[in-house]
Amino acid sequence: MKTSIIGIGQTEFSTHSGRSELQLALEAILSALKDAGLEVNDIDGLVRYTWDNTTEAAIVNALGLPRLKYYGETEFGGVNCCGAIAQASAAIEAGLASCVVFYRALNARSGVRFGRGERILVEEGEHVVCHQPEPPGDIYSAPFGLLVPGQHHALYAQSYKGHYGLSDDAFAHMLGSVAVTQRGYANNNPRALLRDKKMTMDDYRNARVISEPLRIFDYCLETDGAMAIVLVSRERARQMNVKAVDILAAEQYIHPGSVPMFLYAKKTYSLVPEEAGDILFGKAQMSPSDIDVAMIYDATSMMVPLALEDFGFIGRGEAHDFLTSGGNAIDGNLPINTHGGLLSEGYFHGLNTIAEGVRQLRGESPNQVDAETVFMTLRGASSMIMGRA
Amino acid sequence: MNIRPGKEFLSQPYWRHLAEGTLHLNSCNDCGSSHHPPSPLCPKCHSFNTGWKPASGKGTLNSFSVIRHAVHPSLADKVPYIITLVDLEEGVRLVSGIPAGMDVDLEVGMPLECKVVKIDDEFALPYFVPVEND
Repeated sequence: MKTSIIGIGQTEFSTHSGRSELQLALEAILSALKDAGLEVNDIDGLVRYTWDNTTEAAIVNALGLPRLKYYGETEFGGVNCCGAIAQASAAIEAGLASCVVFYRALNARSGVRFGRGERILVEEGEHVVCHQPEPPGDIYSAPFGLLVPGQHHALYAQSYKGHYGLSDDAFAHMLGSVAVTQRGYANNNPRALLRDKKMTMDDYRNARVISEPLRIFDYCLETDGAMAIVLVSRERARQMNVKAVDILAAEQYIHPGSVPMFLYAKKTYSLVPEEAGDILFGKAQMSPSDIDVAMIYDATSMMVPLALEDFGFIGRGEAHDFLTSGGNAIDGNLPINTHGGLLSEGYFHGLNTIAEGVRQLRGESPNQVDAETVFMTLRGASSMIMGRA
Repeated sequence: MNIRPGKEFLSQPYWRHLAEGTLHLNSCNDCGSSHHPPSPLCPKCHSFNTGWKPASGKGTLNSFSVIRHAVHPSLADKVPYIITLVDLEEGVRLVSGIPAGMDVDLEVGMPLECKVVKIDDEFALPYFVPVEND
């Protein structure tokens, strides 16, 4: 890729924004443009998730944009976050647009909640009925009470635990090492929703079980707010007086049964196609050992061990030892989710995960690492590598 | 209250066979492979000549979770309940569960067998339960 991120902007993270999703989107876009030193009329491309409730038309009209030369949509929610960056980059490289904004706005706590079945089910007379053909919460799973993404993650977790024969205690220690370490990062992050809430390993172990083997602290935060990211060509970024971050490689992929929720994928303890890591690192002409800091889409803590193994940062089955020995800590081999992650900072469907990678490369992280390269993945559907400009 | 697919789905072969008491799998009449969820096209040989055949009912446990938190009011009096992923010997995976009240000791990889549980005349579910050792 020959593109750069030149601006990031967001609203506050909250549990009750009190504003419409359109307003949140516009606030985030204006904030990102200000960060990039650009004007509204510099935007000529937009990328959004199909799951976003705001539309290109609403954004264009609200901003009073004279023209939009490219608009792209990427399927699903967070899983394709890096795919959206790939799409924006491809549009720029193809000359379809010169300045693309990728945004996400959601009232995911005060509005429709991804952690609740009400999103999918309707009451019809004496029955509770599902009309949804695809997961999460589709007609084949909903009648058994499998309704929300967090329950799917429990299935991946149990599959991993069973496959590697981890005891309850060892498994809790592994995931607790993700949750506790990330909470520590969030405690240093003034933006984080849980900045003031300390957590110990005992707190983690004693927490309420939601879907075995996952506890409440293994889950991300349902959040209100919005975030926007501005991309231009690397060439243009070099001519601007901005702190740019380069996209070195970005890809998206689907393999049989993998989307939307991996229910029918061959392996449930490994979530990417075998070759995804080789392709990504090959494009960036790097190997996992070249990466300084990683941002891993932690809809649950389980995504961290899976991504570490899937992308070859460690060997298969080595996540327990890596994480329980502090491998993801600030002084570890690979600091991970230094903003606190979706578990402890907030949840903008992965855009805040990208933003922390940008901050690390700009030297603006609340938990700064001497980082030249950032690896970033969204479970099994997209991933990317960013580099210091 | 039970959660059920809409009528537009219950009228389709997969659910009609279950309502009649058996699990049938969407299968290719040309190459013989089975698929799930049902599709108009065989993903192995790309034939549209697909139909339905009875499943053997034998499978192994791929994963499971004991759900302790009710994510919908209709599940409030059902927790804790168990959801499962089952790999059938026909090479397909089904989402399933353990019938309420059944005391089981689950382990990933263990053999399971299908038990179709009738909810009412229109609707039945394919549960999978541990194989009894006689």
